Amino acid sequence: MMVVWTLALNTFREAVRDRVLHSMVFFAVITVCASLVLKDITLGDQDKIVRSIAEGGIDLFASLIGMFLGISIIWKELEKKTIYTILSKPMPRWQFILGKYVGLNLTIWAEIALLSVMYVVLMLFQQDVPSPIFFVSMGLLVVELMLLTAWTTLFSTYSAPTTASAFTISIFIMGHLADDLWLLGSKSDSVFLEQVVHFIYWVVPNFELLSIRDLSVHEREIPWVQVWSAAGYGIVYSVVVLLLAVLLFNRKDIR
Amino acid sequence: MAAIRLHNLRKSYKTGFWMREFEAVKGISLEVPQGEAFGFVGPNGAGKTSTIKVLAGLQDATSGEAFISGISCSDHRSRQHLGFLPERPYFYTHLTATEVLGLYGSLFGMTGRMLKDRTAQLLKRVEMTRFADVPLGKYSKGMLQRIGLCQTLLHDPEVILLDEPMSGLDPVGRAMVRDIILEEKHAGRTVFFCSHVLSDVESICERVAILVGGTIRLEGKISDLVSTQEKRMICTFKLQSEKTLDILSIQSGEVVEKSDLWEVVLPEIEFGAFLRNNVDHISIVDLRMQRKNLEALLVDAIAEDKRQTTEMGVLA
Repeated sequence: MMVVWTLALNTFREAVRDRVLHSMVFFAVITVCASLVLKDITLGDQDKIVRSIAEGGIDLFASLIGMFLGISIIWKELEKKTIYTILSKPMPRWQFILGKYVGLNLTIWAEIALLSVMYVVLMLFQQDVPSPIFFVSMGLLVVELMLLTAWTTLFSTYSAPTTASAFTISIFIMGHLADDLWLLGSKSDSVFLEQVVHFIYWVVPNFELLSIRDLSVHEREIPWVQVWSAAGYGIVYSVVVLLLAVLLFNRKDIR
Repeated sequence: MAAIRLHNLRKSYKTGFWMREFEAVKGISLEVPQGEAFGFVGPNGAGKTSTIKVLAGLQDATSGEAFISGISCSDHRSRQHLGFLPERPYFYTHLTATEVLGLYGSLFGMTGRMLKDRTAQLLKRVEMTRFADVPLGKYSKGMLQRIGLCQTLLHDPEVILLDEPMSGLDPVGRAMVRDIILEEKHAGRTVFFCSHVLSDVESICERVAILVGGTIRLEGKISDLVSTQEKRMICTFKLQSEKTLDILSIQSGEVVEKSDLWEVVLPEIEFGAFLRNNVDHISIVDLRMQRKNLEALLVDAIAEDKRQTTEMGVLA
């Protein structure tokens, strides 16, 4: 496991020194802070507006960072040929994939932690205390991004960032519209279309299962059964996608 | 047990839109015993890098086998005994030399004081100590090559695989790297040395394999290969006054004019006859023996490969 940890730390170190990441985190911070300004120009439950914008901002930027870093996570090593001196060391290839994946997720967790701390400070500034469901919601966001980055890692093992980003965005959108897809298929008159849409529903990840942001914004009770089953689903699904990435990468010739 | 063993190794790639198969390595077999420096030479596209990538575990053989210290190269444990320097090594540019060697050391299970000391020792050996804390993104090509050599030797490997190790180095750097490779060889390490610079191969290696078109054309001790080749005499002479070239008796070879002199290149065995027949017509100015070197052997091997390819094309 030392090899995996070494590669993960190196990936994390490389990512946090990336200037594009700095810019994205900067904009994420601005968005979270902007919720304070926006609440003054809106009507209704202003606290809810703050929570909605801030949590939405954390979700959006964490997903963007996950996609941005993930689509080139393996490809960059192949393109820059840094992989030659890494894979010629005594380690199986699955450790390389896992190390890169863990490092990528460490970066995302650090970003989510930073923005969550900012959110808490913002709440305290508003003389409010964040509801416990916010932290559970962030936990599920972490699982959601584990799943998304498992897909980006898979795509990155055999395709360039442009193709990988097209695949990732498709998966991201379909994953968030999975329930609507099912409904669309069920209402279709064509049996073939229904079967195709239902097949897509079962194959693509259902990211909405992993989101309890609405409940968090409205500060509802924590739905523990949903949380645990969704977390289990996300983790098992991520492991399956990573296994697929390892299978593909094991057969790859490093040219 | 051989340090490196290749048995009927083949490597093919699928290329182009129609995924046509291209065979880069066509069933090569060789053994490199422990402690030997072995040269692996050939023109571009001969299959050298493909073979090296199979040995380094970067690619799987299409068929046949490759072993490092008796362990199949498809098994990652074979790399525990291997130090590999790829042609033009690339590193993480955000890391410093110390950090990158720390990373590679950790991948070999090296930690703490041992890793720190070995890193410092190697950086000193390649004269890079004062750049140890500079990010590699700021390094020149030659400096990166030196760091590449450090990562190759970091874990004190039994087998050292070098693909164009002198690439990008200035003459001082080349001499230093050559000295380091020779030191490793004298310390009993097996060196598998792949280079276009044949004089380096001749000065470092005992044995050599010449690879052309994916097959080994010549293999053996450099001294034996060179000595079995035909020796030729280069004779520079002046014609006696009033004599013309027509009067000379020459079995083979061509006479060419060089300033006011003439030069003829002859097989060594014909030189006696040339002298006897022409002694009254010429005065010898200079006489040299030309022995084929590795470069000439390589050129001949390439020409032979071309001839065979053309013949096969005609037959087809």
